[in-house]
Amino acid sequence: MAKTILKLGNLTKTYIMGENKSAKKALKAIHKLHRLYEELILVDPKKAAQIEKRLNKSQAYFCKEKYELSYKAATGRALKKTKPAKGVVVHALNGIDLEIKEGELVAIMGPSGSGKSTLLNMLGLLDEPSSGKIFIRDEDVTAIKGHRLPEVRSKELGFVFQSFNLIPTLTALENVMLPLKYSKNKIVSKRKLAEDALKKVGLGDRLHHNPNELSGGQRQRVAIARSLVNEPAIIFGDELTGELDTKATQDIMKLIIDLNKKGQTFIIVTHNPEVAALCKRTIHMRDGKIVK
Amino acid sequence: MFEILKNMFRRKLRTSLTVFGIAIGILALVVMGGIAEKLNLLVDGGVRYYSDKVQISSAESSFIASTPLRLERKKDLTKVDGARCVAASIGTTLEKDLTAVSFGPPPLIVAQEPQCDQYESFKLNFTDGGEFSSEETGKVVVGSDIVKKLDAKVGQKVTIRDKDYEVAGILEKTFTSPDNSVLMSFSDAQKIIHADLPEIIKTQIKANSITDGFVVYPDNGINPDELANKISEEVSGVKALGPKAFEDQIASTVRTFTSIIYGIAVISLLVGTLSIINTMTMSISERTKEIGIKKAIGAKPRQILAEYLAEAGIIGFLGGVIGIGFGSLVVYLVNGFMEQTGDKIFLLTPRLLWSSLIFSVLLGVVAGIYPAMHAVQINIVKSLREE
Repeated sequence: MAKTILKLGNLTKTYIMGENKSAKKALKAIHKLHRLYEELILVDPKKAAQIEKRLNKSQAYFCKEKYELSYKAATGRALKKTKPAKGVVVHALNGIDLEIKEGELVAIMGPSGSGKSTLLNMLGLLDEPSSGKIFIRDEDVTAIKGHRLPEVRSKELGFVFQSFNLIPTLTALENVMLPLKYSKNKIVSKRKLAEDALKKVGLGDRLHHNPNELSGGQRQRVAIARSLVNEPAIIFGDELTGELDTKATQDIMKLIIDLNKKGQTFIIVTHNPEVAALCKRTIHMRDGKIVK
Repeated sequence: MFEILKNMFRRKLRTSLTVFGIAIGILALVVMGGIAEKLNLLVDGGVRYYSDKVQISSAESSFIASTPLRLERKKDLTKVDGARCVAASIGTTLEKDLTAVSFGPPPLIVAQEPQCDQYESFKLNFTDGGEFSSEETGKVVVGSDIVKKLDAKVGQKVTIRDKDYEVAGILEKTFTSPDNSVLMSFSDAQKIIHADLPEIIKTQIKANSITDGFVVYPDNGINPDELANKISEEVSGVKALGPKAFEDQIASTVRTFTSIIYGIAVISLLVGTLSIINTMTMSISERTKEIGIKKAIGAKPRQILAEYLAEAGIIGFLGGVIGIGFGSLVVYLVNGFMEQTGDKIFLLTPRLLWSSLIFSVLLGVVAGIYPAMHAVQINIVKSLREE
């Protein structure tokens, strides 16, 4: 058990300090570590004292701020987005303050033109706010300049769109492998990771199908697998059930709820109150502001 | 890589036509370049051959047509200060009448007195047989390009100007003028140029007293061009040409000509380049949304740039390979046909083929820069809204 604890300690250290900074994994490891540690103290207090010394170094990394902040998936502070239209300035977003915690399943609702998609594009780093700041896991991403932005997008964020947006010439598997291809990590078994992601969404038997050989629901599953494959902090869904029938919508939402239960954070823009009702929290927007 | 190929052939006809456009350009480059290479090597060979000696011909002669000189003029040349050795030489056409149009020099009969051979720096090698001794007559050495034309085999007879000669040796390929020359003894060659003389002159002069010209080898440390000037001043009725004269009169002209040939080929390639730019711009505008998706899921600008430059480069590469293939086929067929007359006009050198291929790939990549830059600048949010 002592060996396991040490191993976990080192693993946690790697997750927090190393290149593959994944707060979620680190958290899991920390929890497990604490549990084992408590067990060990109960069983053999002497041995525990010895191990405690050796663990001190690892524990130094369990710094309080990081531990807490990793729970915040995204924070938007005073977000504003203005768009010039025929000489008039339109406030697409007019001072948004928002905090999404890790593990949340948030629906954003509102009438057309209320700024839902603009907000999603801002949080997803697809568009820049005119003013205000966005923090992803406490990193001010609005300060990130050009070349690092794609890296943050590929590692931390996942996207699922209304019209699936799969590359038509690529198979389901190749589509899911795309984010891995673009991310900086030198992952050897890209194929394996993509296969696993497709299995997670129930498409293990459709790996080599082209998008046009799949139903709408299946295509959206491929898109979800693609958004999952890099284990992002948040997955953004823009009207992701908008083009699906009732049955497929239910299936997709079931899948999203399952993934959310396993810890995946989702922010979904939707017009569909049934979809919103399945989410843990709903944000209503109007005229670029959050109304409730 | 596989994805790029898939993308390229989404529009099979369009991509194929673009590839074909480049292929035609490269075909032109290979074929035209084949002529230019042949001429260049001939000129290079000439420059090397003439580099250390002075060519003497009758004052009325030009590089193309020659008027015979009397052999006794050798005495005048030997007297000139700086002349180490003087040998009479003959160079005349293999056929009495030139019938075919030629891109290079026509096949020649070449002969030279043997006494200065030790000063000659231009050495010949044999693939079969060997040299004949200076006393032997009725024997010839055949250049590699005209073996087929004369149906020459070592030890067997060939007919030149209606007379039979025994083949003593066959020359290794040099890619310069010896390739389409027949070397024979000086006295045999004298008879041939004597037979070419007008009847009135022929009766007044003996075959063994004439020559086509002389080769003067300068003393050590003597500049052949200066020696040529001196000979022109001191000896009347002859024209002396040093290496510079060859360079000025022939080499520079041929080089200009080959540049023009390359220029024509490059213009045809330019058309191909424009078609790559067109194809890539079209396909990128069709794929705007896809590029937006790729950017949204984390593609970096340089990755997008690399994808599209690679696509353009592959179009160039395919065009290059096809163009080189067809170009080589054309050259092979035409050369095969021309071999019967001993006048191979094309020469495909590895450097021509490699440079054509590299050129076509580079052309593709350069043509792809503008469309690929356009792809990089695509706005993610706008492109995702596109239907």
